[in-house]
Amino acid sequence: MPLFKPEHRQLLKMLHPAREEEVSDVLSGLAAFMEEKISPLSPKFDSLAEKITSARKSLLENGICLIPYPSRYGGLELPFSAYTTAIELAGAADASVALSVAIHNTVADGIFLFGNEAQKKTYLPGIISGKKLASFSLTEPASGSDAKAVRTKARRVGMEYVLNGTKMFITNAGEADLYFVLGATEKGPSSFIVEKSAPGLEFGEDLPKLGMRGSRTSELRLTDCRISAENLVGREGEGFEQVKTMLNSSRIVMGALCVGVAQVAYEKAVTYSKERKAFGGRISDFQLTREKVADMVTGISAARLLCLYASRLKEMGLEFSSEASQAKVFATETSVRVCDQVIQIFGGLGYTSEDVHRHWRDARLLTIGEGTSEVLRMLIASRELAKSL
Amino acid sequence: MSTFDKNAVEESVRLKESSSGSVTIITVGRSDAKKTVKEALAMGGDRGYLVVSAEPDPHDSLTTAYLLARAIERAGPFDLVLCAEGSSDVYAGQVGPMLSEWLALPFLGYVRKVEIKDRVIRCEQTLEESVRVLEAELPALVSVMSEINEPRYPTLLQIMQASKKPIEEVGSELLIDGRAPPRLVTTVGMTAHAMSRKRVIFEGSPEATSRKLVEALRSEGVLKR
Repeated sequence: MPLFKPEHRQLLKMLHPAREEEVSDVLSGLAAFMEEKISPLSPKFDSLAEKITSARKSLLENGICLIPYPSRYGGLELPFSAYTTAIELAGAADASVALSVAIHNTVADGIFLFGNEAQKKTYLPGIISGKKLASFSLTEPASGSDAKAVRTKARRVGMEYVLNGTKMFITNAGEADLYFVLGATEKGPSSFIVEKSAPGLEFGEDLPKLGMRGSRTSELRLTDCRISAENLVGREGEGFEQVKTMLNSSRIVMGALCVGVAQVAYEKAVTYSKERKAFGGRISDFQLTREKVADMVTGISAARLLCLYASRLKEMGLEFSSEASQAKVFATETSVRVCDQVIQIFGGLGYTSEDVHRHWRDARLLTIGEGTSEVLRMLIASRELAKSL
Repeated sequence: MSTFDKNAVEESVRLKESSSGSVTIITVGRSDAKKTVKEALAMGGDRGYLVVSAEPDPHDSLTTAYLLARAIERAGPFDLVLCAEGSSDVYAGQVGPMLSEWLALPFLGYVRKVEIKDRVIRCEQTLEESVRVLEAELPALVSVMSEINEPRYPTLLQIMQASKKPIEEVGSELLIDGRAPPRLVTTVGMTAHAMSRKRVIFEGSPEATSRKLVEALRSEGVLKR
């Protein structure tokens, strides 16, 4: 099945009628590239038979991260919803590659939104063109989604900052050239760009994971790590608001990634249900299988729409934090549910075949990473309850 | 785009990159063939030329070659015409040789390597059990085999830039003149191959079944001894 489908084209046409042709051209070109260069390797990434390094580099160099950025930094100036869809397609091609790329581009988003012009010129073209790999380093052993409780310390010493602390579950850690690190100064959480060559920056072992096995996840340790004061992003004390904004966009993208995971798993189950025979008929003829198919595709369509709705609000400069959280909660939980039903349709084969259950294992991360479903429900409810009805 | 056509586009872009010149992408098709032209422009073509056919059915090879020849003449002076050894769908392999006749160009067909030096083109042509090396003076026409190169995937930036490259469209009726050939061949049907299966079922223990299978394969001549 092609990654870029008529329903993607139709939805993007509804959102951006004037730019339909260029958006479709770019996404169909990207899909053709991934179908050839990424999808066939996906089972090998999951089984650790092959590293994602080369596939990820080729995808980044093909230009996936250029999509939403202005041309003055080398970007394509296409709508954010085109980028959201691109990550959905990447999620269908390979979830680990998509995760690594999406986290990488979250750093580009942070520098684009909050960096000064010198930082944008220095870092942005390299990141979005894939010449430099980036890593978003927020989570700590004692503070996950609670960014205000950051314990990593950043002390100003002359024209430098000295960073001390430990980050945990950091995607791309050890592989990335640049790290967007949250550390607390006297004025509160603050963001810093730390280059891999900085003295005192070390990484832990690659953590074994249930899914998303192709992407590297490890600890990051900062021990008297000295960086130039010029690498402070924005001003001291602005870090919490910055990462909150970055996470809002990133949550839409993670939702979309999970839509892609659900889509590819769903297609496998539908194909199988039409081949597998039991009790003298195809299992796709059974009502209970049909109910699963209907529920799965309805969930996928709804999740995709929520992600694109939040994307459109962002494009229009409107408030979208609640919608981004709704998109992520719904899309990630739908993806887990769909992938679970896919295993059920495959039966014993689903439970024993890596190429079936890997999608469930991949999707399972994202009800936790980039804001747990529980924290996001708190955010959504707070915003709803603050409204005067 | 037909996969072999991608090889031809790739080779033309490589020749441009290694020397100089420009690449014009020319095709005959319905108006939606513009998408194919854009794809080739994203790979590195400089401008496109689309002959829009009003015919409900695809032209036969001779007319396709004729329309391409007229389009090539209208597109301006050229040194080299590259095309695929055949299309991915019907793979008749006729358009290249016919086009060379219409244009009165030397035809170097089914080549796996192209080199140009001092307006002389040198090609390696794959034959059944040997490789033949051919030379001709430019202008010439070459049809390429898939082994000649690995076509590039255009980057997203190249895809965006391709939409700004010029594509000239001309109706096929404008190119049909007194010299145009009549339709000589009509496709009257196209169906998938019907594969007949022997549907032999062997029963018994695994050992006995295996023996029967081997015997059957021997009697069919699949296994030699």
